[in-house]
Amino acid sequence: MGPDFHTSFRLERIESPLKRELKDLFGIDVDTCLECGKCSGGCSNGHVFDYTPRKIVQLVKLGAEETLLKMDALWICLSCQLCLDRCPSGIDIPRILDHLREKSRRRGIPATRPAVGLFHDLMLDQVRKSGRVSEVGLMLRFNVATGQYLNDAGLGWKMFLKGKLHPFSPSVKSVKEVRRLFEESYGKKT
Amino acid sequence: MIGMDIAYYPGCSLHGIAREYGRSTALVCRRLGIRLHEIDDWNCCGATAAHSLDHELTLGLSARNLSIVNRMNLDRVTTPCAGCFSRLKGCSLALGNSHETRERLEKRIESTLAKLPEVAHLLQVLVEWIGIKGLADAVSRPLSGLRLAAYYGCLLTRPRAVARFDDPEQPTSMDRLLRAMGADTVLWSHKAECCGGAFAAAQTGIVVDLGGQVLEAARQAGADALVVACPMCQVNLDSRQEAIEEARGVRYNMPVIYFTQLMGLAYGFSGTQMALDKLLVSPLPLLGHKGLL
Repeated sequence: MGPDFHTSFRLERIESPLKRELKDLFGIDVDTCLECGKCSGGCSNGHVFDYTPRKIVQLVKLGAEETLLKMDALWICLSCQLCLDRCPSGIDIPRILDHLREKSRRRGIPATRPAVGLFHDLMLDQVRKSGRVSEVGLMLRFNVATGQYLNDAGLGWKMFLKGKLHPFSPSVKSVKEVRRLFEESYGKKT
Repeated sequence: MIGMDIAYYPGCSLHGIAREYGRSTALVCRRLGIRLHEIDDWNCCGATAAHSLDHELTLGLSARNLSIVNRMNLDRVTTPCAGCFSRLKGCSLALGNSHETRERLEKRIESTLAKLPEVAHLLQVLVEWIGIKGLADAVSRPLSGLRLAAYYGCLLTRPRAVARFDDPEQPTSMDRLLRAMGADTVLWSHKAECCGGAFAAAQTGIVVDLGGQVLEAARQAGADALVVACPMCQVNLDSRQEAIEEARGVRYNMPVIYFTQLMGLAYGFSGTQMALDKLLVSPLPLLGHKGLL
């Protein structure tokens, strides 16, 4: 467990700026959590999370922001939306994780799974440059960047023989319109 | 037959690794009198990468696509990809729910979002807008003897507040569609579990774990093949199947087929027209054995 709280505490005395932030920005109210655990029971990847969704909601209540920004779950959540869908109170846990991930990025905290962060970045770089994603280009760049030149080489060859790989996907003609979206958001923060 | 004009958002995969999904979609829709109009100069929705790192960006990317639908004077838009569907519909709802969000996004994309088109996944268009009866009427070669596991995955029906389609826990739309094509569908546990597709490249171990559970559940239910409505699910379960078999020590040899490819067969198109040869785990022996080719 994280070092953020003692074994006994009184929730009403705990200050959680993060909790207020989520309420102000997105209208997410973690105080409506019933602690039923349906989110964690259903979580697709919960069996490998360091903090399961229910614990994440509790950590938000406790204001344990440092723990949340550094947790592994941030980078292996699949955004499958099951926790949100099953929550009797409709707490948007995937949105909380997206927010924490953005925040963790802005604070320069390294991803516990660098490959996941790298893959996202390479994909967005393609979208910024051409407006669309070419799967072949993305996989090649990912393999070069991770030093796994032969990663999935057999699979790539099989797909090539099947005629499934199309390295030259056309760009968006008005790609400037797409790039502008990056200048105003993602590009600014990184 | 009914004529229907709908804007069409293929998404990157349908122009890349999932071309067979695009081809079968085009032929099946044409047969049903649905005219798909590809969004002019559409851009990528940003998928998991964009919403994971920047929500404004994810909204902006889909808002641009929606505004082009507006300009095309169409009031409905569809996509065969569950991921694109989730982003497009999520954006449309965010714009519709908040005046402030819409004005902000209109400024960002320098375009109007006055009318928000209705967003539906292709499966929803077929099952709800055309209807099971209309779909069944076009069948000329019933898919008799096939036992199929309809696999919906995560984003097609979830979260319910966004997808607003089918039952998020026990969806039935694809089962009903496939039965209308003359096939049998199995009752099984993993219809709406996640296959891990978002991490297909970055966390192979997770994908082998989750994809393996899906394949094993389908095998135990006695399915001949998995049927999917998302390119991420297809590529993931098909291309990682060998690694999954190695990890679990089980030979699945389970074809993962797009629902539109099976509809095409039932509508009398050939296996070549449906590009069945593009799938890595070949469905040809199974379909040949059942006399469907």
